[in-house]
Amino acid sequence: MFSQLLTSLAEVAQLKFMIPLVIGTWTGLIGGAIPGVTITMTIILVLPFTFGLDPLQGLAAMTGVYVGGCAGGLVTAVLLGIPGTPAAIATTFDGFPMARKGEPGRAIWLGTWASFFGGLLGAIFLVGLTLPLARFALRFGPWEFFSLFIFALSMVAGLTEQSLLKGFISGTIGLAITVIGSDPIMGAPRLDFGSEFLSGGFQFLPVLIGVFAFAQIMTDLEKAGDGRRLEAQAAPDLSVSHPAVVWEILKRPFLLVWSTLVGILIGVLPAIGSSAANVMAYDQAKKISKHPEKFGTGIPEGVIAAESSNNANVAGSLVTIMAFGIPGDAVTAVMLGAMIIHGIQPGPLFITQQPRVSYGIFAAYILAHPVMMVLQWLSARFYLRIVTVPKAILFPVVLVLCVVGAFALNNTVDNVYALLIFGVLGYLMVKFGFPLAPLILGVILGDEIEKNLIRAIMTDPDPWLFLTRPISGVLLALSVGSIALALWQHRRTQARLAGVEPEAEADF
Amino acid sequence: MGRDGAAGLVCLAGSLVLLWATLHLSKAPLVPIGPAFYPRILLSVSAGLSVLLIASDFLRRRRPAAREARYRLVVLTFLIFGGYVFLLSPLGYRVSTFLFTLILQAVIEPPRGGKGWLRVLAVALAATAVTYYAFEIYLFVLLPRGWATGF
Repeated sequence: MFSQLLTSLAEVAQLKFMIPLVIGTWTGLIGGAIPGVTITMTIILVLPFTFGLDPLQGLAAMTGVYVGGCAGGLVTAVLLGIPGTPAAIATTFDGFPMARKGEPGRAIWLGTWASFFGGLLGAIFLVGLTLPLARFALRFGPWEFFSLFIFALSMVAGLTEQSLLKGFISGTIGLAITVIGSDPIMGAPRLDFGSEFLSGGFQFLPVLIGVFAFAQIMTDLEKAGDGRRLEAQAAPDLSVSHPAVVWEILKRPFLLVWSTLVGILIGVLPAIGSSAANVMAYDQAKKISKHPEKFGTGIPEGVIAAESSNNANVAGSLVTIMAFGIPGDAVTAVMLGAMIIHGIQPGPLFITQQPRVSYGIFAAYILAHPVMMVLQWLSARFYLRIVTVPKAILFPVVLVLCVVGAFALNNTVDNVYALLIFGVLGYLMVKFGFPLAPLILGVILGDEIEKNLIRAIMTDPDPWLFLTRPISGVLLALSVGSIALALWQHRRTQARLAGVEPEAEADF
Repeated sequence: MGRDGAAGLVCLAGSLVLLWATLHLSKAPLVPIGPAFYPRILLSVSAGLSVLLIASDFLRRRRPAAREARYRLVVLTFLIFGGYVFLLSPLGYRVSTFLFTLILQAVIEPPRGGKGWLRVLAVALAATAVTYYAFEIYLFVLLPRGWATGF
């Protein structure tokens, strides 16, 4: 196995494969850094250019886009407080406060190095555990998936700082957004009040961008309305000691490995994707931390957990596509399409029958990480300057990018209207003290929770099966445990803060 | 009533309206569970949580003082952005984006003198041109053309 991997590493390291890999990774970094331009959109853009290439060259380019996109999303998350991709949602929680405290360079590089280590650790698991993990994933029926999504949703409790009740309400608002439009099983129109605009439901991306972009920009504009000028950050600390940043990550080996594992496991399971993986890893990091109350204030643990998990998630998604030919998310669905176009059919025999291509993908995934580091290093000095751009220029440009990103999703102005609606909603929620992260988690998981609940009941109406099926039962027990632990941590934090007025800052 | 109570009332009203709307959903002919099954569970939970929020607001002895904030710029920005969004279709991407970036810059930080206006104008032009070329020409996103301007 490892000799084949070494052979593939040597093959992919040739210029013939490295050029598409570098171009793909660079495209992914840029696409990931633009709010609204998803990794899926970027990989679709790259796809036609791979048709004329050798299959492995094309797949190397697409693997590069995937890895680069995951790392690129952290740039806007850290510098603007707006996740560049859904995979960087949790990166905003601590990365942005860290940048605001005058350490944008440290925040970016903590995220980048965490992506690097998470990705490489993911590669080890990818090579060693592809088949066992994929076999485990095959044991998941609708009961197990439903319970898994409930477990993911239980993270709402851990993502809420001030009022758990508001956190749960925020989560249910997110879930309620997904029931508008049509039901996911039969496609019957539902809760659209006869409106054509509502009949299509709301896509995830305009909700995500609207909520985060407006909550952040409007909160900043309040300060300008106060008579203060909205100046750019004065002389931000762009210098970074890379050994110090690497040590900050490596001295937390358990956090790194655990977040990586969360990312891989979520990646292996179809339909959840990196958007939930980074939030779940962040929540786990908070739960195992000795100082959970510091999460959200700009601490390295939050950035490390989010970024290592989202890159490891790529490894998990590749496991599923290669072992079973089942795409774990939209990005791997495009990769699967590319494989089929090239006459390659992934499945249980893919690794043994096509070792050159399968191990070539492993190799491309591994090599994409150092390539991503070099490209990030080359471009960091330029984009870190974003924090020095006057807000009067930055805000209109960011809003235009949000509009284009929402529009480009399927070339319809309806998504831009949705962006405005959710921008207003996000801002109002922040003003009324509702956290935004549970809302986003609700939107991510809503459809899948409903689909699997209905499928399970239609297969067997016995509700006890959710508890008596071993994996499902364990996941539901973990959900209860997760909420109980979050409640305990919440009470402990509240007791510590007793007598201190809650801060009026936005609670993301 | 505090702001939590008000927020709870809004959430409760929203949940009840949607719950009422589920009563009018037709049953699925082929499957035992219709499209209203899951929304009813969800919206009932949402209504229950909203009631709890209202109750907790009433029972709270001391409410945190509301922070004084200035909303003039926030409201203006929302209005300008709303105008931009609704003018995208009649004016097209290029005209509306130019106007939006020009006006919003001027509102956030009113330009001083000719040089200030020149900067605002240059940024508006550059933002429109760069995003248009990047997305339409290089990323193949067909940006909206205005039905009123044809541009």
